[in-house]
Amino acid sequence: MSDQEQDKLKQNPSFVLRAIKDVAFEDRPVPKLRDDHDVRVHIAQTGICGSDVHYWQKGRIGDFILESPIVLGHESAGTVVEVGSAVKYVKVGDRVAVEPGVPCRPDTIFAATPPWDGTLSKYYIVAADYTYRLPDHVSMEQGALVEPVAVAVQITKVANIRAGQTVVVFGCGPIGALCQAVAKAYGATKVIGVDVVQSRLDFAKSFGADGVFMSSRAEAGVDAVEHSENVAALIAKKFNLGDGADVVLECSGAEPCIQAGVFVTKKGGTYVQAGMGKENVLFPITTACIRALNIKGSIRYTTGCYPAAVDLVASGKIDVNRLITNRFKFEQAEEAFELVKAGRSDVLKVIIEGVQ
Amino acid sequence: MSRVLASSAPARAALNGASLNASITRIVRPAMVKASKITNQKRDHSACCGPHLRSYATHSDLPSSEQNLSFVLKKKGEVTFEDRPIPKLTSPYDVLVNVRWTGICGSDVHYWQHGAIADFVVRAPMVLGHESSGTVTEVGEKVTSVKVGDRVAMEPGIPCRRCPRCKEGKYNLCVDMRFAATPPIDGTLAKYYVLPEDFAYKLPENMSFEEGALMEPLSVGVHINKQAGTKQGQTVVVFGAGPVGLLCATVAKAYGANKIVVVDINEERLAFAKKYAATHTIVSKKQSAAETAAQIIKECDIVEGADVVMDATGAEPCIQAGIHVLRAGGTYVQGGMGKPDIMFPIGAAGAKELNIKGSFRYDAHDYETAIGLVTSGRVSVKELVTKKVKFTDAEEAFEDVAASRGIKILIEGVPDRRDSATA
Repeated sequence: MSDQEQDKLKQNPSFVLRAIKDVAFEDRPVPKLRDDHDVRVHIAQTGICGSDVHYWQKGRIGDFILESPIVLGHESAGTVVEVGSAVKYVKVGDRVAVEPGVPCRPDTIFAATPPWDGTLSKYYIVAADYTYRLPDHVSMEQGALVEPVAVAVQITKVANIRAGQTVVVFGCGPIGALCQAVAKAYGATKVIGVDVVQSRLDFAKSFGADGVFMSSRAEAGVDAVEHSENVAALIAKKFNLGDGADVVLECSGAEPCIQAGVFVTKKGGTYVQAGMGKENVLFPITTACIRALNIKGSIRYTTGCYPAAVDLVASGKIDVNRLITNRFKFEQAEEAFELVKAGRSDVLKVIIEGVQ
Repeated sequence: MSRVLASSAPARAALNGASLNASITRIVRPAMVKASKITNQKRDHSACCGPHLRSYATHSDLPSSEQNLSFVLKKKGEVTFEDRPIPKLTSPYDVLVNVRWTGICGSDVHYWQHGAIADFVVRAPMVLGHESSGTVTEVGEKVTSVKVGDRVAMEPGIPCRRCPRCKEGKYNLCVDMRFAATPPIDGTLAKYYVLPEDFAYKLPENMSFEEGALMEPLSVGVHINKQAGTKQGQTVVVFGAGPVGLLCATVAKAYGANKIVVVDINEERLAFAKKYAATHTIVSKKQSAAETAAQIIKECDIVEGADVVMDATGAEPCIQAGIHVLRAGGTYVQGGMGKPDIMFPIGAAGAKELNIKGSFRYDAHDYETAIGLVTSGRVSVKELVTKKVKFTDAEEAFEDVAASRGIKILIEGVPDRRDSATA
């Protein structure tokens, strides 16, 4: 049988994580709608997230443990090809961004968090109200970036960022950069990006940040917490933050950044932990107490974030195309994952095209 | 599908002490006929503060041929009893409940008397009632939170779970809400009722079925206080000393409000309110709203104005007085429903920078809060039950509520004889 004929037999090619560090392509049956409110989406583009790479390499994040094969990927956009009989606002042919987490109806599902399959298949089934139409001028690539934009929207929502505020963002990877851009879009007056990699700072300065700061690691023999305090003081001084920033968004998960983040938050300010690194860190708790800080965690997104994200992309307020640094075909998915894993500073968002 | 209860004449006579042609639809009966059935009970319960129990016969006089006896509003002004099929579970997450007690709400009475509330029109026969408690008799295969035999308070409104309001937790505002006894959805005045497991709340050991039936109106009171943001140390004014007003007052008390003023035109209801939850009561007079506000402030020793006003009347003079009695920056919550359009003191509302909110039914966690308040003893609802009637005397209960007699009247359910513990 020719390759072409063989391809025709494939119903639903999927990129599967079978076990730690063991990925493979499998052909799976075309998934069926589970109820009258579901739609089937032909996935067009999928971005890769650090969590996908983490499950591949480590097989677990917290309590979510890989116990059986799962399809990877969760940052996707595609075209609706089938709708359930009770679906009112979505129709076949609609181009949509897919929100990959559906809570307790009845199970809480998150694509590519074990045991649930992700979106790196030809087709994906999702409840209709978790798809969001993309305006005609928004590409599928931009559609795949809606998910991380939604994460940034949620972080700014948790932080309650308002016009006139000063915001310091630790980490200038995709999430940090997007948080800077969303904060600006929502009216923050001064947004500062912090990182240890110059090229990332350069990107941040051209993307959403008003100013950037090159941080440094503590030298040998220097007390780490004292060093973090000094970094915070330098940031406050360089950008005239006075007592400190109104809001700090920690998007790196790195212990020195977490510490510096607390130290650079003004009295009564808000610190949001979005980055995920070590589960337990040395934390300046007394500073948090004396300054009466509001310290919150942020995870994924809540109701309203996806529509806001689509709007930010569609209106041009955030140019997500600039975050896409690498593109791969579906068959090259493993290569794409290797690239993200390598953690090169010139790589921001890697996307994988869907099965045609 | 339903059929009019058709049983032998003797059985019917045993049922209700009057002979009836089995095929006749019962219409609203004049009060005189009712009185002949009642032996030595006083009709006017408006002053009483404790359960006023009728002595009723055992349930053996109910015909055993019924599956699911239901109290149905056929159309405006016409109620009847019908035997309907036992409802089926609609999903593996549903439970079937044998209803034990049902309280009556002004809305049930309004549909009976007027056949409609706003756009909700009774176009086909509908089972009445929505304030119920009961025993779980069947569970769907995926139900984990309750089991057969559990005693539950029933939350009677099932939202779609998909719309933006539902996803925010404000499911009371769901566009596709299916609410018991709001047309066309059948209510809970039937032997059995089906609902999803997450709308059936287990009653703690120290709560009775009767208290369980009061959880619905108490949740309304909880929600109004939630909208108001009532907190410790505040001065709160509640307009209306009916069941909802009383429950608003008692929740405010549980939340630590320092001063709870209840306003009404009915002095007997106010006397009850004073014993129940109010620190002060005011008898409404025919005077301007500003005068009423000044009277409240003066007589209750309020500085500047109230922090919170909750309206449980819907009456224009109360709404106006409520706006005027608030301090600058205070919060007004509209819970009561009266005329849809009224003269509203918008100038005062603007200049005093008031927070004005509506309140409708209840949303996320209100039922759990209500149950928690009662089981912990911070709120007591038993004393609101002024009369209990048998299922087949449901109409009498409706007439009492329509005449504002008593506070809360409960209708007993039809027992499930399969479970001997409920007999």
